[in-house]
Amino acid sequence: MSVLTLREAPPERLDLLDITPLALSGLSEAEAARIPVGTTRRGLTLGDCFTVRLDRSDTLVIEGGSGRLDRVGAALSEGTIRVSGDVGQRLGEGMAGGSLHVEGAAGPFAGTGATGGLITIGGDAGDHAGGAVYAAKAGLDGATLVIRGRAGDHLGDRMRRGLIVAGEAGDFAGSRMIAGTLAALGVGDHPGFGMRRGTMLLGRHGAMSPTFVATGAHDLVFLRLLARSLRALSPAHADLAAGALTRYSGDLATLGKGEIWAAAA
Amino acid sequence: MAAWVKGGATDAETAIAAAAALLAAAHAPVVTGLCAELAAVRAAFHLAGTLGASLDTAGAAGTYAELGSLSRTGAMTTTPAEAAGRADAVLVLGAAPWDAPILRDIAAGAPSRGRAAGAERTILSIGGPGNGATRHVAYPAEAGGLALSVAHLRAFAKGHLAGEAAYADLARRLFGARYGVAVYDPAELGALGIEMLQGLVKDLNESTRFFTLSLSGPGQDRAVVPLAAWTTGQAPRVGFGRGVPEHDPWRFDSARQVRAGEADAALWLASLPSPRPDWLGTVPSVAIVGAGGPDAVAEAAEIVIAVGVPGESTGGALWNEGRATVTYRPATGAPAALTAADVLGRIRDRLTEKKGA
Repeated sequence: MSVLTLREAPPERLDLLDITPLALSGLSEAEAARIPVGTTRRGLTLGDCFTVRLDRSDTLVIEGGSGRLDRVGAALSEGTIRVSGDVGQRLGEGMAGGSLHVEGAAGPFAGTGATGGLITIGGDAGDHAGGAVYAAKAGLDGATLVIRGRAGDHLGDRMRRGLIVAGEAGDFAGSRMIAGTLAALGVGDHPGFGMRRGTMLLGRHGAMSPTFVATGAHDLVFLRLLARSLRALSPAHADLAAGALTRYSGDLATLGKGEIWAAAA
Repeated sequence: MAAWVKGGATDAETAIAAAAALLAAAHAPVVTGLCAELAAVRAAFHLAGTLGASLDTAGAAGTYAELGSLSRTGAMTTTPAEAAGRADAVLVLGAAPWDAPILRDIAAGAPSRGRAAGAERTILSIGGPGNGATRHVAYPAEAGGLALSVAHLRAFAKGHLAGEAAYADLARRLFGARYGVAVYDPAELGALGIEMLQGLVKDLNESTRFFTLSLSGPGQDRAVVPLAAWTTGQAPRVGFGRGVPEHDPWRFDSARQVRAGEADAALWLASLPSPRPDWLGTVPSVAIVGAGGPDAVAEAAEIVIAVGVPGESTGGALWNEGRATVTYRPATGAPAALTAADVLGRIRDRLTEKKGA
């Protein structure tokens, strides 16, 4: 596997958009070291910040992370990237396939616009994880995003397809959701604000918006299928789906075809 | 014209030279505030391009709440003149609009043209304290905030919720308007609330005419947005670190950049009164401020240069809220020796000379 080892905490934000196993597979180590990654007039290159060891394999390991590493795994289409540390904003932005694993925490907008593949964050995620960036049509758009720790506010904002599994999340989880599935063991206030369609599965939750109405408890085959599909990613979320749930319908301020399944109190 | 370097009074030329040296030594400077006449803002963009700096505005929270919604869902807007001339129903959202002079003007009049001409004007409000003088029908806001209140109202307007709730009554009043206008402050309502409001207004336009009137606030953001667009093709928060303008509202939030230790110098432009960023003293900084203002003091920044105040001691193109466009405001007093555009241009000239040498 190829390894990039961070020499020291970067002096500025670095943009790793073009750093994927596929992009590096055709380059020599010297060529890769010359790829510009800096975002200021310092003009930093990959070799300035990392020691570069390439073996043309489909797995890339980034040793040593930093909250200043932006767009790690962005546009990844195949192969695997592992980061032993933190990353910055837009982890896996626009990713189409492959897998991306971060052992530490991620900045805001993780998984934004990702259409395929698996993103796993071992620690916490910033605001708008799986959410849309400024002026974008959609947030998560088909990929699977797993956050083992706590996500910030606006988790899955305007997500359109795919699955988000999070430990805890802040306020306005699933805001403006277009479609897709979001599961969290606990969220803050007003989940699903402005959601049009989509499914949310929640454990604890804060204040529910007045534009969601309880539609009772149901024993649906869908929930058993959801529990089965979640089992491989997180047994705790699968248990939540298999337990007693109350269904809320909303957001009635919009299309109102979304649903929140919340653990019965 | 007054200028200070590290607390000591000096002449403008020395301060400009010191400012150029301070900015030239930085790797990731920020140019922020942009509360000034358009000539100065244009000079600030050109300076940022030369420096490889990023830009941010004083009113960015409201600007991006507005632009974020506009970019995704569009907007149905009107101007203050149209609101004053045609509206028979005005919905005031939140507390901030009650401090705007424009609202007092609208509230004092009645529709004089269009389909509602001759009718009385009804002022409705959600979550606002009123201004003590304007008669209005007040509806309480939801505990969760203004955005939630708009959503709740919209659910009644769509017919998805029914009953004798206060918002059901308000929704009936809105549909009964012949020309309605919803007035709000974008920073107070937020991106989620604005998007929800625009959806509500579109729903209302299925059967009547209804528009929104977003208040611009005290800064010059409304003028800076088109200038940024014609200069860089983007909204104001752009960075030139890689030589081309990159737009990223999160990355180029100047307060965040300073807090995270990413910015190593700052230039604050405020030839018009604007709240001084509380972080300004934490990085090497240059302040270009209006002469005679509260920030034209030695301790405002490492280097302070006082310049003409547009509309007072210098002429300048500024946002005109009443006319909803940029207009020229001439100087009303004795002209200042220095304008902000001059200072920024001369700093840029020095940097260019340095590069060429």
